[in-house]
Amino acid sequence: MTNDNDFILKIDRVSKTFPGVKALDDIHLEVRRQEIHALVGENGAGKSTLIKILSGVYQPDEGAYLAIDGVELKNLSPIEAVRRGISVIYQDFSLFPNLSVAENIALSLDIEKGRRLVNWKRTRARAVDTLDRLGVSIDPDQELGGLSVARQQLVAIARALTYDARLIVMDEPTSALSRSEVELLFRIMRSLKDEGISILFVSHKLDELFAIADRFTVIRDGRYMGSYPKEEMDNERLISLMVGRKIEYTIYPKRKCGEPILEVRHLSKQGNFVDVSFVLNRGEVLGITGLVGAGRTELVQAIYGMNTPDSGRILIDGKPVRIRSSTDSVRYGIGYVPENRLREGLVLQQSTANNVILVTLDKLTNRLGAVVADRKDSLVERSINMLAIRPSDPEMIVSKLSGGNQQRVVLAKWLVGSPKILIVDEPTNGIDVGAKAEIHKLLRDLAESGIAIILVSSELPEILAIADRILVMRRGRVAAELDGSTATQEELMSKAILSEQTGASR
Amino acid sequence: MQTKGFRFWRAKEFVIFVVLVIICAIVTIVNPVFIHPSNLMDILLTNTVLGMMALGMLVVILTGGIDVSVGAIIATVTMIVGNFLAHVSGNLLLAFLVGAGSGAALGLMNGLLIAKLKIHAIVVTLGTMSIIYGVMFLLTGGEWVTQEHIPEGFKSFGRIVFGHVKTTSGGTTGLPVQFLFLVAAVMVTWALLRYTMFGRGVYALGGNRISAERAGFRIDRIIVLVYLFEGILIGFAGVVHTSIMRQVDPNAFNGFELQVIAAVVLGGTSILGGTGSVLGAILGVALIAVLNNGLILMRVSSYWQQIVIGLVIVAAVSTDIVQKQRAEARKTRVDVEITEGARS
Amino acid sequence: MKSRGVLLRPESLLVVLFIVVFGLMSLLSPTGFLRPFNIQSMAFQLPEFGILALAQMIIILTGGINLSISYTAALSSIVGSVLIVLMNAAHLSPAISITAGIVVMIAIAALCGAFNGTFVAFVGVSPILVTLGSMTLFDGLSLLITRGGAISGYPFAFLWIGNGTLFHVPVPMIIFVIVILATYFLIDRTSFGLKLYMIGANPTATMFSGINVKRVLFVLYIYSGLLSAIAGIIMSSRYNSAKESYGSSYLLQSVAAAVLGGTDIVGGSGSVIGVVLAAMILQVVSTGLDILGFNRFLTNVIMGVILIVALSLNALAGSRAQRSRKSTPSALVR
Repeated sequence: MTNDNDFILKIDRVSKTFPGVKALDDIHLEVRRQEIHALVGENGAGKSTLIKILSGVYQPDEGAYLAIDGVELKNLSPIEAVRRGISVIYQDFSLFPNLSVAENIALSLDIEKGRRLVNWKRTRARAVDTLDRLGVSIDPDQELGGLSVARQQLVAIARALTYDARLIVMDEPTSALSRSEVELLFRIMRSLKDEGISILFVSHKLDELFAIADRFTVIRDGRYMGSYPKEEMDNERLISLMVGRKIEYTIYPKRKCGEPILEVRHLSKQGNFVDVSFVLNRGEVLGITGLVGAGRTELVQAIYGMNTPDSGRILIDGKPVRIRSSTDSVRYGIGYVPENRLREGLVLQQSTANNVILVTLDKLTNRLGAVVADRKDSLVERSINMLAIRPSDPEMIVSKLSGGNQQRVVLAKWLVGSPKILIVDEPTNGIDVGAKAEIHKLLRDLAESGIAIILVSSELPEILAIADRILVMRRGRVAAELDGSTATQEELMSKAILSEQTGASR
Repeated sequence: MQTKGFRFWRAKEFVIFVVLVIICAIVTIVNPVFIHPSNLMDILLTNTVLGMMALGMLVVILTGGIDVSVGAIIATVTMIVGNFLAHVSGNLLLAFLVGAGSGAALGLMNGLLIAKLKIHAIVVTLGTMSIIYGVMFLLTGGEWVTQEHIPEGFKSFGRIVFGHVKTTSGGTTGLPVQFLFLVAAVMVTWALLRYTMFGRGVYALGGNRISAERAGFRIDRIIVLVYLFEGILIGFAGVVHTSIMRQVDPNAFNGFELQVIAAVVLGGTSILGGTGSVLGAILGVALIAVLNNGLILMRVSSYWQQIVIGLVIVAAVSTDIVQKQRAEARKTRVDVEITEGARS
Repeated sequence: MKSRGVLLRPESLLVVLFIVVFGLMSLLSPTGFLRPFNIQSMAFQLPEFGILALAQMIIILTGGINLSISYTAALSSIVGSVLIVLMNAAHLSPAISITAGIVVMIAIAALCGAFNGTFVAFVGVSPILVTLGSMTLFDGLSLLITRGGAISGYPFAFLWIGNGTLFHVPVPMIIFVIVILATYFLIDRTSFGLKLYMIGANPTATMFSGINVKRVLFVLYIYSGLLSAIAGIIMSSRYNSAKESYGSSYLLQSVAAAVLGGTDIVGGSGSVIGVVLAAMILQVVSTGLDILGFNRFLTNVIMGVILIVALSLNALAGSRAQRSRKSTPSALVR
């Protein structure tokens, strides 16, 4: 029988509720000492929320149990989490690109100790020590910004070590690394493990996990799906635990669609995507899925003119087109609802009306260039009604709208221009379930009316609910093309993760 | 930023240095007087004040701030010091204390307003510029402190030179004593930026404000202190200026703030903060100094000086931006699979 | 198409402030301030400042700043004046020389604006740095042509622009009103103007919406240059000469007027009426204090204090500048 003292971290009955959504529901997790533990789950499964709870940034709901090193803790603060030995390395590293490697490693500790002067010898020595411990050769005097992402990550790890971390949490650490860099990282992780440090490794790169992890914990939709030692795990089982759920959304019947309206041939852009070809038909919903970092957004932004490709051709209605800016794509009838709604989709401090007319602005003007109030008002009113934007006051500042309504404003903005092709990137991100269903219906209705839709989404159920055809991207290429009516979540996830030849996920 | 080893060749400062050398070479070819020691001494003398002020501005810009009131501050300092020398005491040490003190007070005012009111630095310093100039002219009537009123002891101090260098007109000159102040300012600023946590905080703040807060730096305190530090440097610069000119003209610094900013920017400091160095700032000052002097020696009309400097600024900031854009575009976003035969 | 201002209807507050200030000055020196001569004098002086304030405001609206407006005004009026003076000396009719001169002034200012616009819009350099360079450049060109002196020798008719009246209204004021109307129309009624507000508030989202941001900014800087030229025309006519230094003191005051008028320094909101009112307030304060015998330097001090106080109130009301300052220290450098 194991007791609490065998675990560096033990949490139980951990839930986290945000207004309108339960991000985590009764999570249980135990990380042993000297263990590399994999935390697995899809995008949006709740991994990030869980990490923030472990690091003290979020507080779990009432009734949770959290113990570090056998000591139960309540109201964990970020500083205390660090002091107790939990160090989280986020994907953005929180480092200073304009300072040297040595400084980045040693800085926070200096501040904590209240030091006034910098002793470069000591700073450098500490950095060199830590880097040596990791078995890594990085010039401590080099400016951090000049390092590759992989090496910056190693610096982030080194910094965690200076805090005497006992549990290092890494959030998707390999997403930007090459194969050899991943191997280096794994070597370091193993040596840390030998030193007595545990690692909680969050990822969905399956073969990496199988190569390095001792045990697996799977989370799906905020729920705990179990913890298993490596020996009891394989790809199939893992995938089915990750995505094997009943699809709650309304599944719309898939259709055989009209003529091709968009054709992409051998589109490539270095460092973004390679040799992508596909066809989009009128009235069709084409889903594009894959892991984050597979190149989906980069690809659709290339079609939209915000990410000019190096080579390849785009044809609209059979004719080759040159799309070099968003202005060009709008001219060709392409619209884009961005993933980052708040930063790229809306001008938050402006009204609903002004946001809705932004794309088609020049069509509302008279000969002098003035916006004709009547035309604007009627257009805005029609949009608000058609898309059921609530509250319906056209002068309402959009920052005050709910996520779902904000998304409707973005959609309205494009629809007033009667686009031929509409690209929607993670359209229901951050929107509650009821509103999601409404957006799904909206997209299907638009397709029904003849608009061709490209749906980029990480939410497999969503893709399966409304896409007629599905492209799965993996590492910059189209890995598979599947029929929307017959594909399964497991199939999509396998294609996204596993390489065909080796069955490994790299 | 200290760079080591082979990376030095790619550092911005090296490029500026090369440009500087090229300009010096061109000027020397056209008029060898440029390289004559007495001319070099003259360049040093004329630009010591610009150098000291550029160092102060460097520290401010590194945090992502800016200060357009420096012209008003130094004009006020020179007036205070000039009147002090004329009517109170010719004591050198006291003069420096008075100068540094008044500069510090004005800088502190700026710092507190910017940190506490949370208004953008450019607008605050625009306002304080009016206020400082206004109060100064109000209290002094804009009257010069003329040569006769400056104590002889102070004037002699200002004339001190080290070494013997023959001038082209037959006299002798040497390394001006004021240059030592520039050297001291360089060393203090460099030490401050490199060896104190405050200095690292300046870079951290300019590099990533949120991370800096997370790391535990006291942001407000750093902001107040950078303007205070700048004020002190300007204070010293004011006394130095008075010792060079041996009189005080309150209008001498009209528009000077922009020259200071230009010097710092030409030296490779990013206007957004976080990047820049003492070496860079000094090179920027040297660039402007050499351009000004060179154009004179090449008998180019002095009116061309402004034109050339304006073009140089635009060219420099453009190449900087273009380089940044290229670097950004080269970043890899997706780890693309390179194997052959993968389905597409 | 006004976006939500930060203060509660800033224009109304400014009108109140104007009335208060005007009333105050009148009370403090009824014989001096309310004299028709003085009112007229202010009416002659205000336009050049007000137009420059507008030239500045439209740039600040997009999150930038234009340090070159006064030297654009100076350079364009100098070049045009040279032409006028030469043609006048050659005994060409005033109609020809003045028209030619004004055309040249407009053209030069448009070139200045295009210069700025090219680097800001197409190269992508931050406006503060571009205009720092261009202001130095234009200043240098002005000095080169004038050698520090003044160009003079206009035909008498030219002076009418800056000193004449039409139905008892000073001509500069008429020009000012036309400029206000045109700018108001452009900023508040046209699609171009709405694009400016959007670019200032969120350039990324605006670009994602298919707006050709580069082209808009390029044209904007040209318009700012044109306004500067008009101010320059008025100034050279009023002073009966063209000099490099004319208008240089207006640069900082133009920023003050823009900000006082409710324009957010980081862009995205502001109103033409607000800026005009702010310019009027600053003009009244300046003239009023002058009449009261206040030393003009004390006036400067008061102006500076007004600016800082107004901004503090603005910040307390929770402006966007405060919020965005937390993430971008130098938001002027978009």
